[in-house]
This record gives sequence, C-alpha cells and structure tokens, in this order.
Amino acid sequence: MGKRIVCACEDVTLEEVRRAFAAGHRDLESVKRYTGFGTGPCQGKSCLSAVAREILRLGGTPGEAAPFTARPPLHAVPLAAFAAMDSAALPMDAGVPVPPAGPQARPRPNGPLPARADVVIVGGGIMGLALAYELSVRGVTDVLVLERDYLNAGASGRNGGGVRAQWSTPTMIRLARRTLEICARFAADMGVNVWFRRGGYLFLAPTRREVVRLEANLALHHRFRLRTRLVTPGEAREIVPELDGTRFLAGAFNPDDGVVFPWPFLWGYAARSEARGAKVRTFTAVTGFETSGTRIGAVLTEHGRVECETVVNACGAWSKEVAALAGVALPNRPTRHEILVTEPLKPWLDPLVSVLGTGLYFSQSQRGELVGGMGDPEEPAGVESGSTLRFLARFAREMAACAPITAGLRVLRQWAGCYDVTPDNNPVLGAAGFENFLQMSGFVGHGFMMAPAVAELMADWMTGRGRDEIFERFTVARFARGETVPEDFIIG
Amino acid sequence: MPRLPDPRFAPDCAIAVDGKRIAARAGESVAAAMLAAGRPLLARSAKYHRPRGPFCLAGSCGSCLVRVDGEPNVRACRTACRDGLRVETQNAFPSAAHDLLGVVDRVTPRGLDHHHLATWSRLANRIAVRLSRSLAGLGRLGDRAPSPYPPAAEERFDALVVGAGPAGLGAAQVLAAAGRRVLLVEEAARLGGRLRCGYALPDEPALGWAYEIAQAVRRAGGEVALSSSALGLWRDGGRPLAAVHADVPSPRLRLVRADRIVLCTGGTPQPPDFENADLPGILSGRGLAAALAEDGVVPGERAAILGTGLEAEALAARLRSAGMTSEVVAGEVARARGRARVSGLVLAGGSLVDCDTVAVATVPAPACELAREAGARVAFDPALATFAIQAGEDGSTGVPGLWAAGEATGARSAAQAALAGRRAGEAARG
Repeated sequence: MGKRIVCACEDVTLEEVRRAFAAGHRDLESVKRYTGFGTGPCQGKSCLSAVAREILRLGGTPGEAAPFTARPPLHAVPLAAFAAMDSAALPMDAGVPVPPAGPQARPRPNGPLPARADVVIVGGGIMGLALAYELSVRGVTDVLVLERDYLNAGASGRNGGGVRAQWSTPTMIRLARRTLEICARFAADMGVNVWFRRGGYLFLAPTRREVVRLEANLALHHRFRLRTRLVTPGEAREIVPELDGTRFLAGAFNPDDGVVFPWPFLWGYAARSEARGAKVRTFTAVTGFETSGTRIGAVLTEHGRVECETVVNACGAWSKEVAALAGVALPNRPTRHEILVTEPLKPWLDPLVSVLGTGLYFSQSQRGELVGGMGDPEEPAGVESGSTLRFLARFAREMAACAPITAGLRVLRQWAGCYDVTPDNNPVLGAAGFENFLQMSGFVGHGFMMAPAVAELMADWMTGRGRDEIFERFTVARFARGETVPEDFIIG
Repeated sequence: MPRLPDPRFAPDCAIAVDGKRIAARAGESVAAAMLAAGRPLLARSAKYHRPRGPFCLAGSCGSCLVRVDGEPNVRACRTACRDGLRVETQNAFPSAAHDLLGVVDRVTPRGLDHHHLATWSRLANRIAVRLSRSLAGLGRLGDRAPSPYPPAAEERFDALVVGAGPAGLGAAQVLAAAGRRVLLVEEAARLGGRLRCGYALPDEPALGWAYEIAQAVRRAGGEVALSSSALGLWRDGGRPLAAVHADVPSPRLRLVRADRIVLCTGGTPQPPDFENADLPGILSGRGLAAALAEDGVVPGERAAILGTGLEAEALAARLRSAGMTSEVVAGEVARARGRARVSGLVLAGGSLVDCDTVAVATVPAPACELAREAGARVAFDPALATFAIQAGEDGSTGVPGLWAAGEATGARSAAQAALAGRRAGEAARG
C-alpha cells in the first residue's frame, strides 16, 4: 500500500511523525521515542535529517529539531569485537558524547506555567508522573509536574524494563508484586501499550556464596506465595538453552516476573493525569525554592515562579541536587550504569537473566533486541551519562561467557543512566528539611519497577487515606539514627 | 543485460539465495550480485513486511540485511561473494519474494498504531502482546557462536584520518608529506569515495590520485586500512580513543590513539521521501555508479535519475553508456509504483516515468556522528536541509585535536572537498 516511509529500518511513516508532533511530542528526541524512528539497524543515518526537516516544517524550533544524542557504535558489529578488548586497560571515564561547548538551543516548554498549584512535583519521571496520576484519581487535581527535559530523558527512559517480585525483604516483595499487578492491567486501564510480558526472571549463582543467597530468599518468597524455584544448571538450560551451564552452580526462577517497555508508562501516566486536570510541563528546569520558616512557599523555574502548598522531590539521580537547592542534604549517591541494545532477532530468550556477583543482566525486548547492562564496581558517584568502551569490553566478555552464542549479536547502541543509590539501598520517603518538602527518591536501580506501587501508597499517605510502614521506615532521619536494614538483592 | 560485456566482469562463482543459484563475481558484494541478477528484492521490512532491497550500497542504511552462512542481519552490500555462499532472506514467510505476511502492509493503509493496538481489553491485549512478539525481530539467532576476535591492543599514530574520499585523501596527502604517520581508514573495500563513481566531473581528481596518496601514506610509515569502519570516538582514559573494526582478512578490532583526528566521513545517501520510496530498485546513485564501474553491474533497462546538477547528469550519462535508457526526472515525484521492484514514478502533475531503476543523485546528508560524539557542533543547513559539522576554513571544529573537511561539513564538489581536506591536513600537521 502507499506509504511514505521515513525510517525504513523501523517502518516509520511520515504520517506517524506528524501524528506524534500533533500529540505533543514536538522535539526530535520525543518523536524518536514515540515513533521508534532511528532506533533500528541504521541508527538514524538515513532518516534523522528527514524527521528534523518535518519537525521544522510543522513549526518546530531549531532547538526542537536538534539531532538526537549521538550513541556509539557507528556501525553494528558483534559483541565478539568488543570482547577483544581488555577492560583493565581502559580506565574509567565520563564517556561520550562530549557535550559541545557553548549554549545549545533548547526546546520550548509544552505550555504556560501556572502561577500556583497545590502540589508541585519536581521530576517528570515515572515516580512523579505516577504520583500525579494517583493524586488526580484521589481528587487532588491541582498538581503540576515539572520536567527539565523531555519525558523519558532520565532513568525512566534508560532502564532495562525488568519487573520482578524476587527480592530479599518483605517490603520490596510486597511493592514489586503490586507493580506486577499494575503492569498486567496498565495497557487496558491507561490506554497505551507497555508490552508487559511475563517471561520470568532467572537469577544465576556462580559461587557457593550466591547459592546461599538464593536459598535464603526462597523461604521468604514462598511465604509470600511467589512461585520461585531453585534450578540446577541443567534445569536453567531448559529455560535458556543458550546458557553455558558450567558457569554457575544453581539458579532461581520465578515465572511470574517479567519485562516491560518503559517509555509508554510515562506517556500513559502523563496523559491520564492531565485528563483529570493535572499539568505536566516539559523543558522547565527548577532553579530554586522560596522558603519561609518550616515551609517551602514557591518553586522557582527557568520560566517563572509557582506558589505551592506541597513540593515533591521525585528527581531520581538529580534528587540530591534539587534538595540542595532548598538547602536540604540527602545521602543519595547517584551512580552511572551503562546499558546497550543489539539488533532485533526473532524471539529466542524468554526470561530476564541476571548473574549474581558480576551484575550482568540481559533480556529480549518486545521488538527482539537483546537489552543488557552490567554495573562497574569502579564507577564513582556522580551524575554522568556518557558511554564508554570499558563498558562494552566488560559487558561483551561476560555476556559471551554466560551465553556464548550471543557473542555474534551486533550492538546497535549504548547509553547510560543513573542509579539513585542510598547507603542501605532503600528509598528516601517522607518530609525532609521542610514540613511540605516530600521526598520520593533513592530507589537505586529499581525505581521504575517500584514506582507504580509506591505512587499509590504515597498518594494515599498524602491524602490521609493510609499510612504505609514505608513512610515510617524510609525517612531520611533513619540514616542519622542508624536504623537501616540493607536490601542486598540489587543487580546491575 | 545484467553486466557490462567486458570479460573483467564475467561471473566466476555462484552464491545460493534462498536455495536459488545466483551467478556472481568473487569479491563483489552480495548486493551487487543480486542487482546484476535483476533481483533487487532482498528482504522484508520490520513491521509491514514491505519489499526491501539494497539502497545505499555503502553499509549505512539497513535495507539489505540477510542471513549469510547462518549469521543473521548481515548487510548484503558489505558481504563479499564467494563460491557456495549461502544467503537467506529474512523476516518473511516463506521467502522475501513470496511473503504471506505482506498482507500486513495491505490491511494497514494508514499504518499501524502500535501504542494503542488492542488496549480495549486485558485479554485482547495479552493476545496482541504475544502475537506481536512472535512477529517482531528480523533474523533468527545465529547457528553458532562466532570465532573469538584476536586481542585488541592500543595502537598509536600521529594522525587518524577517517574516510578515504577526496577530503580524507587530501588531508592524508599533506600529513604524510610532513612525515606524519597516518592511519587512513576507509569503510569501503576500495579507496576514493565518490571518485569511484567514474563521473570525471570538472576539476575532479582522477582515481589514480588516490592510489598515489596511499603510496605516500605508506612511505611515511602510515597505513591505509580498507574495509575498516571507525565505530566511534570514545574517550576512555581521558583522550580520544577510536575503535576501528577491520572486516578483512578476518574480523578484528583496533584501538587507535592519535593526537590529530581529521574526520572526512563524507555523506550518507538519503532515500527520497515520496510514497513508496522504499521499493527495491530505488538506489543511491553513487553506490550504483561504483557498482557499475567496479563490477560492471547494470541493474535494469530503464533508469530514472533524481537530483539536479552535474552529478545527476554525469550519473545519467554513465548509465546510458552502460546501455540503459536514463533520464534525469524533471518535476516533483508524487509516488513510486511497483510491487517487488519499482516499475515507474508518478509525478506531481500525474504524468508517469516508466523505469525499473531509480538512482538518487541528491546531495547526501553529512555524516556527523563521530564529530558529535567528540563534542563538535553541528547545525541544520537550510540549503541542504540536513545537519552538517560546523568547521572553519581550516577544518577546525572547536574541539582540540579534531578537524573536519569535505562533504561532512556541507555540500562540496570533489575538487572542493580535496582542497578542504588539504587545508585541514595543513592545520593538523602542526
């Protein structure tokens, strides 16, 4: 049939670009995420200019039509190529792309800033948007969400999309199980596909020490009626035949865990909360707070001032910086985590696989790409989002060792996001510094999978409908009092 | 007439494509062999299963991915033919030529809104998620793990020049003459960039010039690396570190540090944006001209040329001399016609251009990716309607140690590009 294909790799039509723009995805990064253009085997070489041209023709500004972030590698080559490097010879670095010197044209905010709002949520990631939605459902509709960039610019748009109930504390299991329920109904309830697929989570234990960790969790999981089971290497290979069974001693598998496509969660929460009266303003950076006594009275932004009753800090890795604007110190330590995606293949991998100890994890996305990452013990604290060869080297070697056939998968794109790490790997909730300055941060590497459940509880707590124990336990004061119970089942 | 009647271009081997024997010349690309065989259809597209074939013939687009000897998603335009090579088309049932899933395209005339597909009920959604997953992806997982690459150790050169077209050759010439050890990397298997097209435009250097410069680079202790792609300019260790993937003789990764980097990455062919511009048989003009010059490939009988100016005229003349009818299309194209390959162009006025090949000779989009990784500025050039690297007369990009020249910085003739390359070389020479 007659179609004007603008991105031949992903079959994106010019009409889709126009629809995305009309739906409010005006900047090129957002159009990329909404339409999928530029995410296939050519990585935008054949379509970037055409889409920029169309955005300008539709009335977009040069800042909105600016090219999307350059992501290595320039050509798709097998993981085996990167496995040829010795990561020890590649010292840690801030990575690429290097931001160009001088000012950059910024996209316009997507609407005027109101002079006041009952609740101002700083941070338009999944935490803030899910909270805006849950508040609006509870009748609190004078809510303003401020996002410095486009939706999905931060960790919410950069994570691997895993959602699992396999945790090591009752609280985390409870929250994650609730999120899994929400994921299963999100598309039907919120009217946008999130491609939730229960392929399970398979944890692999390479040493006796990790086997003990899995065994310890098992009793807890069964108490919460999770279907987690310990598997031998042979049984693990029945689930993922491509694994090298000599590389681990045992595994734990819960068939009810799964993966999602993260981006549409934000669009769904934003659209539904706006339909109920909330406002979501993109490209509006917070620059400071007006305080008086024990309260914050107004939020200052690059586009003006907003008076408010309550401020919620839901900025993920930037929460510490934003709290500091109000003179409030948080113990969070943002830490970069790198990730990559390969060419799309027909379905071959059902679960998300995670190797304890190395932090390697990988799954197959709905589109068929292998999505995988791995933490680096030498990564210093700091908000960094550059990409390194060191990561490619480390990931490629571990991946090829774990499942040798994957060494042939071609890497399309690498990027990084920030974990919002706290001293005990648990979140920071409740008021801090000011009685109306509420924190919703510190979810380490699992904020995305906790957000839907936490937002419900937070909205209940803010509207006096409930007072979940997490708002007692996870206050910032716990660090000073030394009342911390570490969560140790972090991956990546 | 699939090939020029020159004994140099006579097929000397055969590859198997979906089990069918295709005559080929050892060393030419699978895409070239398929074009010469009159079979531009090589694949089906990711979502709508539309017919796809090679477009850029230069490794940049993603339209010619095939399975080769059990390895999925390999670019046909970057895969050399040898006798017995087993090529399979992908993402099609049973084959790209007869794909039953092509029905997806026909039942979705306005496209498929995947965001809102089957969101009206939980059950419908679960079924849609399962179904869409089973259809997603291009190739199947490979038959076997690849052989490990040899260890990659850091190499040092005085200068790294990326791209061996007119600009890169100009830069390498000056640097080598100054005694610098240059690594000149070129993605293609041959030197010359657009000089390979044989257009012989006014003031354009002859291809022989490229080989003289290659000699000079080697005499100065440098190296010319063909079939070698710069994958990126990372900064591990705090200084630019290029990773280069060499395809031949066997794949290996090279890590290159150089205090001077000159980006002469040229342009990326851009597909046209009219309706059905993704049909097989619509090809980059430069890619086609090079295939004609080097492999004698004559892709059909009737060519329509898109573009204006000397290059479009030269391409039309080249194709005519190869025995095709060949005209530069005057007027705006509304849509292409054809099923498995293009059969004509419908102009905005309604008139029809009868053709079996469309060659695109519009100005390519500057390849800015490496420059942007390194922090150079790019800007939208309204005249070109694409982004271009912002570089000074001497190729300076504002990033210490990084210069850019040639078509990567905007529309340049080959002669202008060579001059700009020399200037960048002079600036980088120090």
